[in-house]
Parts: sequence; structure tokens; C-alpha cells
Amino acid sequence: MTIILRMTWKELLRKRVLLLTLFMTVLFLIAYWFIASAIGGEVHRYGLSPDDPQLLVERYSRGMFIISLGFFFGAFVVAFLSIFSSSSVISGEAELGVMQALMPRPLPRWQWYAGRWLGYVSFGMGYALVLYAAILGVAGMHAGVPRDMGTLFIAYLLFASVVPLLVSVSMLGSGFLSAIGNGVFMTMLYGGGWLGGMIDKLAAQFASLQETVGGSLATISGLLSLAMPADGLQRTMMDRLFNMDALRQFTGIQVDSLMSMLGVGSAPSPAFLWYALAYTIVAFVLGIWRFQRKDL
Amino acid sequence: MIAIQTEGLTKRFDNGRGCSDVSITVREGEAFGFLGPNGAGKSTCVKMLVGLIFPTEGRASLFGEPIGSLSARRLLGYLPELYRYQEWLTGEEVVRLHAQMCRLPRAEADRRVPQLLERVGIGLRSRDRVKNYSKGMQQRLGLACALVGDPRILFLDEPSSAMDPIGRSEVRELLHELKAQGKTIFLNSHLMEDVESLCDRVALLNNGRILQQGTVEEVLQQRPVWRLRVGGFAPALLDWLRGETGLAFRLAASEPDGSAVLEAELENEEQAGWLHALILDQGMTLYESTRAKTRLEEWFVTELSGKSHRGEKA
Repeated sequence: MTIILRMTWKELLRKRVLLLTLFMTVLFLIAYWFIASAIGGEVHRYGLSPDDPQLLVERYSRGMFIISLGFFFGAFVVAFLSIFSSSSVISGEAELGVMQALMPRPLPRWQWYAGRWLGYVSFGMGYALVLYAAILGVAGMHAGVPRDMGTLFIAYLLFASVVPLLVSVSMLGSGFLSAIGNGVFMTMLYGGGWLGGMIDKLAAQFASLQETVGGSLATISGLLSLAMPADGLQRTMMDRLFNMDALRQFTGIQVDSLMSMLGVGSAPSPAFLWYALAYTIVAFVLGIWRFQRKDL
Repeated sequence: MIAIQTEGLTKRFDNGRGCSDVSITVREGEAFGFLGPNGAGKSTCVKMLVGLIFPTEGRASLFGEPIGSLSARRLLGYLPELYRYQEWLTGEEVVRLHAQMCRLPRAEADRRVPQLLERVGIGLRSRDRVKNYSKGMQQRLGLACALVGDPRILFLDEPSSAMDPIGRSEVRELLHELKAQGKTIFLNSHLMEDVESLCDRVALLNNGRILQQGTVEEVLQQRPVWRLRVGGFAPALLDWLRGETGLAFRLAASEPDGSAVLEAELENEEQAGWLHALILDQGMTLYESTRAKTRLEEWFVTELSGKSHRGEKA
């Protein structure tokens, strides 16, 4: 399995996936720096004294907005990196003929599968860590950001948990669909989950929507989040990072209107996390089951 | 010892293709030629034997180990027909990857990999990325990968189809060397002269079913063909000979001076004397009579002529 894990990393390095990803990330971070500077710098124009608690609240709320903006982008990048790095791993390699030479070797198919999975997941989670730290670092230079290490660690785990989730589903899909077909399927599936989250945020924003069609929207949003829990995990991450409930109750910050479409909506329950974990495990096990029986 | 044994091996695909009821036995150290037109199902059979696809029915084993099992896969080396190696690796890295997957000890791999790359003729380009390799070079690399685990059975699916004549000759030489070392070779090829020079036994597959199998001598000598150089020949005499003997005659060559070369397909060698007498009785002169050596290619064409097959032609 470690042979395949090393091969996967070598592939990502040699195909310059890592280099290109890091290069584009640097470009994003440069742009993000200016955005954060523009939003965070404006706080000083209010003329509040450094001791005024209102300045602290203002800095923190600006920080929330900057961080939310960063993770709005970051969630997409991590998700698409996970999807597109692994979407052609079985069907694509079988179509190209790479597998025909490798799979007759005395290596159990599950080990090959698990090695590939570990390679993509370690790559994606490593990248997620770099991006996570960079977003918080840039935001922290211009506004207030959470500093509690426990909170930051849990939020990172939630942010990066979409990687094993999406890689598991993407590899499972690759056992059934062609490389292009699986890429389209995964994009649509992820888009569906994201739409579910957006519906939830919209409903939280507009009271009129809540009153009239709130129930229906909650059902649709819930079903879409169950079909693809990635966006739900991202929203949970934001919720844990900012401790949204406490903020709503104690600081008077209008978090939902402040963060608008970048916000959390109604945060998924702890049971949702267990559901997402089970979803990932089932997709991984089904993927192995399918690969064990697939004609190559 | 039996190296490869299949009993009623069958694979049915949704499009109706595949192969049916393939039963063959290959002994250890034998070179076995698996022949057939395009689309006959040869590659399907090979893929089942190496564990890439799963049989619908039947069973097979390699040295007694069920096909597809790890123990069976430890015994084989395989060069697929349609394949591509990881183009982002160098040739040497590809062979090392295969060595690792065969659990070859590092020291052994360090010794064996450069040796093999040299042997298949890409030693000087072994540090180049595979994406810069020609098809022929990739085929040479494929041979190195197939051999790196020092397998007891080699499955070679069109091993030299992309190579130039020099490459083909080198591969032929390598295969003879491997056979001399006692390796069992399962060769799937359209290059009949290679099959004829290397293989002890052959099987002919058409539309997924085995039409014939046996030793090369057996299949080539099923119908003795005699070449007769005669003088005083007239076209009417050919029809007469056909009618009188009931044998298949072919006019291979004819000259204006009345000399001609006839080919007759006999039922047995004893008919040769009778045929000579008939020719002389008709006033022809018999200059030369030899038994024509049938080539495997002729046998292949003859066996398949008039039969539908799933390749380009119905």
C-alpha cells in the first residue's frame, strides 16, 4: 500500500498538480491580502479609542467577514482539488491502459485502492492545512481572529474532512463512470450540496421566506445536504470557529446579516457529523467492493 | 508439470463478445501460441488468465493456483496489448515500481533493473520520462516490466507489434532465450513466423471459440500439400485431374512453353504415387515432386477462409 501511496504523491508532484495549486493559491492570497486590508483597515476610521470594547467587537466582526470570505473560496478550492485529483483514478487509468500493466501484479486490489485513497487524502488534507493557516494568518493581520488552539484545531479537522468525503465518493464513482462522466457527476453532486447550504442561508436571511416557505426550504436544504454533506461540514466548521450561538446571544453582532451568503445559516447538528462520517466510510468501503469486482 | 490449465473458460460481455468454453493445457517450459483474427477473444482470455477480468463460467489455474489469486499472480509476468505506463515516471522508475510490486528485495532490484533495461535495448534512455518514449520503446519497457519479477509464466500479448524489424528480431531472440531458460510462454501474436519459430503448440480461436489446437507440426501437417513441376501442361488437364481424383488442385504457376507448377492437397501421403502415375498417363512430364512445407500463416488463412469472424469482415 505504501508503494501506491508514494506513487500517488510522485504523480501529483510530477504532474505539477501541487506546483500549480500552490501557485494559484499564492495568487489568491495576494488578492485576499488586499481584500482583507481594505475591509480590516477601515475599522480605524471610526475614531474609536483602542480601549473601547466596541473596537474589539468591530475588529472581530470584520475578521469574521474576512475569514468567511476566505473560506468561501477555500472550500471550493479544496473540494474541487479533491474531486478532480481522484475522479479518473479507476476508469481513466483503465481507459488509458495504465491498470492493465499494474493490476496483474501480486498486490491485493484493496491495497491499491487504499494506497491511492491515502495519497489523495493526505495531499488534499495537507493542502487544506496550508490554505487554512494562510487564510487565518492573512485575516489575523488585518482584523480579529479566533486564537483558541482547540477551536482552531477542530475547525481545521472539519474544514479538511471534506477531503476524505469527496475523495471516497469520487473514487467510488470512478469505479462505475467514465473519467469525464464522473467529473461531471461529482461536480453536480457537490453543487447540489452547496445549493442546499445556500438555500439554508437564504432562508436565515429573509424573515419573509422563513414565514411562508420555511418548512419546504428546510426539507429541500436538508435533503440536498444529506445527498452531499460537504457544504454542511464547511458550515459546521464556520459555526465552530466563530462559536456562532454565543456571538448571536452575547455580542449583539448581527452575524447572519453581516456575513450574508458567506454565513452559516442554521448550523448542522452533531448527528450530521456522524452522518457525514458514516457517509465517507460507506463510500470508501463500497468503492473497494466495486473495485474488487471490476473487469479492467 | 502443467503450467496453465483452463476448463470451459467463458467470458460473456454485454455486447455479445468475449469467449466461450476455452479449454487448453500448457505444460511447464512450453511456448504456446494463441492465434486468431482480430476480435476473436484472445486478449479476453489472456486478461482472465492474468486476473484483470473475471470469468463468467469455467475455471483455470496457473501451476495449480486459481487464476486471479495472489499466489497465481506471483508466478506471472504480463505484457498487455493496449497499455500505457505512467508517463510521468522514467523508464527505470516504472520497472522499479513493478519490482516493488513483485516484492523483489531492493538489492536484487538494484542488480536486475539496469540489467533488464539493457537487455531490452533501452538502457541508454532509462532515465528519460516515459512520455518521451516511442511506441516501440514502450513495448521494450513493457517486456522489462514483465520480466522483472523473474516469472515462471510469461503472457505476451502482441509483444513486438509496434517494433521495427530489428526490434522484432531482438524480441524473437529474447523469447528463444527465455524458452531455453525453461520459462513457460503464452504468446498471443499475429506474427506467424514468430509463433512458428518459437511455439511448441498453438490454438486457433475464432468468434470466442477454439477451432483447433495441437502441436505446430500437427496443425501444419493435417493436409499434406505436394508441389508438382510438370511439362506438357494444358488447362483442361487441371479439370481432368480434379474430376478424376476428387482432390483440391491449384495452379501455382504456368509458362507459355507448357511447363507449370501444380499444388495438390492430398488426403494422405500414399496418394502421391497414384497422382504421379495419373500425371504421366495424361502425357505430362513430371520434372519435380516435393512435399510443400505449409507455413503457419497459410494454415491460419486456410482454416479461417469462408468462416465469419468478429473482426473487420463478416
